[in-house]
Amino acid sequence: MLHLIDIRKSYQVGPTAVDVLKGISLTVEKGELLSIIGPSGSGKSTLMNILGLLEQPSAGTYSVEETRITYDDDRTLSSLRNKMIGFVFQQYNLLPRLTAVDNVGLPLIYRGISEKEISERSMEYIKKVEMQERFHHKPTELSGGQQQRIAIARALVGNPSLILADEPTGALDTHTGQEIMNLFRRLNEEEGITIVVITHDPKIAAQCRRKVELRDGIITG
Amino acid sequence: MIIKANVKEALKSLITAKQRTILALIGIVIGIGSVIGMVSIGTIVQNEALKQFRDMGIDIVSITKDYERQGSDEGFNIDHIYGLPGYSSLIKKVAPYIVSSTQYSYMGQDLYIELMGVDESFFDLNKLYIREGRLLSDLDRNRFFCVIGAEAASILRKAGIKDILGRQFLFGERIYTVVGILKSLPEGGGMRPSGINRGAITHITTAMRAFTTNDITTFMARVDTQDSKAAKAVIENYFSKKAGGLRVRVRTAEELIAQMQKQMQLFTLLLGAIGSIALIVGGIGVMNVMLISVTERRKEIGIRRALGAQRTDIEAQFIIESVTLCFVGGIIGIILGIIISYVFSHFSKWDFLISQSAIILGFCVATAVGVFFGYYPARSASRLDPAAALRE
Ligand SMILES: Nc1ncnc2c1ncn2[C@@H]1O[C@H](COP(=O)(O)OP(=O)(O)O)[C@@H](O)[C@H]1O
Ligand SMILES: [Mg+2]
Repeated sequence: MLHLIDIRKSYQVGPTAVDVLKGISLTVEKGELLSIIGPSGSGKSTLMNILGLLEQPSAGTYSVEETRITYDDDRTLSSLRNKMIGFVFQQYNLLPRLTAVDNVGLPLIYRGISEKEISERSMEYIKKVEMQERFHHKPTELSGGQQQRIAIARALVGNPSLILADEPTGALDTHTGQEIMNLFRRLNEEEGITIVVITHDPKIAAQCRRKVELRDGIITG
Repeated sequence: MIIKANVKEALKSLITAKQRTILALIGIVIGIGSVIGMVSIGTIVQNEALKQFRDMGIDIVSITKDYERQGSDEGFNIDHIYGLPGYSSLIKKVAPYIVSSTQYSYMGQDLYIELMGVDESFFDLNKLYIREGRLLSDLDRNRFFCVIGAEAASILRKAGIKDILGRQFLFGERIYTVVGILKSLPEGGGMRPSGINRGAITHITTAMRAFTTNDITTFMARVDTQDSKAAKAVIENYFSKKAGGLRVRVRTAEELIAQMQKQMQLFTLLLGAIGSIALIVGGIGVMNVMLISVTERRKEIGIRRALGAQRTDIEAQFIIESVTLCFVGGIIGIILGIIISYVFSHFSKWDFLISQSAIILGFCVATAVGVFFGYYPARSASRLDPAAALRE
């Protein structure tokens, strides 16, 4: 489904170029539950941004569903993010002024769907993550685990085939983190959604069917 | 949906009433207010000019002795005035009049009712109609009869005087009998002598005998409509020849309208200048507010981009926000502009009216300012690198 060949990424910091990814080749199959594990600063988030079409690699080729990404058209990239990919972040990244329902509905407003349908679908997905008691709560009125559930509902609402989760349990206690992992496993098994979980926690990685280790910008195992 | 959400967002940030938002809006309010005031006053003057045409016709001119340009302070010779229609076929009718300096007082209380002396054609030229009793005619020559204006009648009634018709009043040292009450006239006729509404009118021959100052300084004439310039020249020529080089000033309806427009132009120029400066200042304020808003919401922009917002969606979001801000300023500005034009028309004694096209223009200007000054911040928001914004 996702196909990376010799992906490199370097950032220009002042006069020096910092190489963050140093030649990543990786294939993610449809229906996989994959973890990418590595220490802090090893380039995990950078890799996720490339997988999620938020960043253009400095070199290498990236293909999604056999189509090579050319990075020359914002519309195409945005539309792929909107329809194919759901993001889950460590810091939840909900918009603080919006209620749970409105946060979950965000991806749909970029599809020109009617307001009524958006709120219906948002509520449906909030129920799916068992947060129906909290439809009209703002993020600050929710615990970390609850916010992450809302964020997962937001990632799912557009019916994507891929979920990219960057340290989704990183800000949660072990118990709550485990609940989130259970949710991912259920989604992967029952709905066949491809899930890539980025983590630095071996216990989380161990729950995924495949594990990729990243160290200093290269895959080590 | 997306527009509604953006408008809500903009209103929320306004209600949180950050000082800089308010300051930016003051500029927009003053700017739009001036523009609306400008256009409204233009419409009011236009209307006033039209009213002038409808009310008295454009064939009336008013002739005044030009005191500035000659030493003598005597008035017109009435025979010269009456000789004018015979001199040229361009002059159809003349109507001389005198205003007395005495005022009517009743039981020690000054009622400020002025007495004028006119002839029969004066009523015709000024479109004066009777409400009760009868008009004066040239048969009332040298007789102490008068008609009074509508407002003067109600002043007298308020002072406790009933049965005005037929009653005798003392003006100066003479007693006049009221034979009629005039219909009320619209304010500010322009060409029409002021104060008819609240004055009393007797025949000019009576007035010339009774008044202490009996100089005729002004008279009116109906001219051939086709060529008011030629008529003007004829009148000037006539007095210069007939009355030994007497110089006169002839004011035509066209000139009067031109003068009104000049008065308006000065004011609209002022408003236009204030308006455009205020709009630029306000616009820059709005731009500043938007730039700060973009900086504060970098993370939000990154999130929205990750969820599938295109660059154009982000751009639209911030432009809508900026237009909403300007719209709020615009609505207040429109109200301000209407107040300005009301005050202006009130003091110019012109009919006040609300110009619909001015209101539409106000909203258009608000939108234009919002789009123009919101474009740069919105564009920079849409160009943000989503990955960098998300890392923050
Ligand atoms: N925009 C950037 N400019 C410069 N350096 C960056 C930028 N983004 C990330 N880096 C650097 O790249 C390295 C990897 O970052 P990241 O992918 O966030 O690692 P991880 O998610 O594994 O902690 C870090 O050293 C970080 O400082
Ligand atoms: Mg990271």
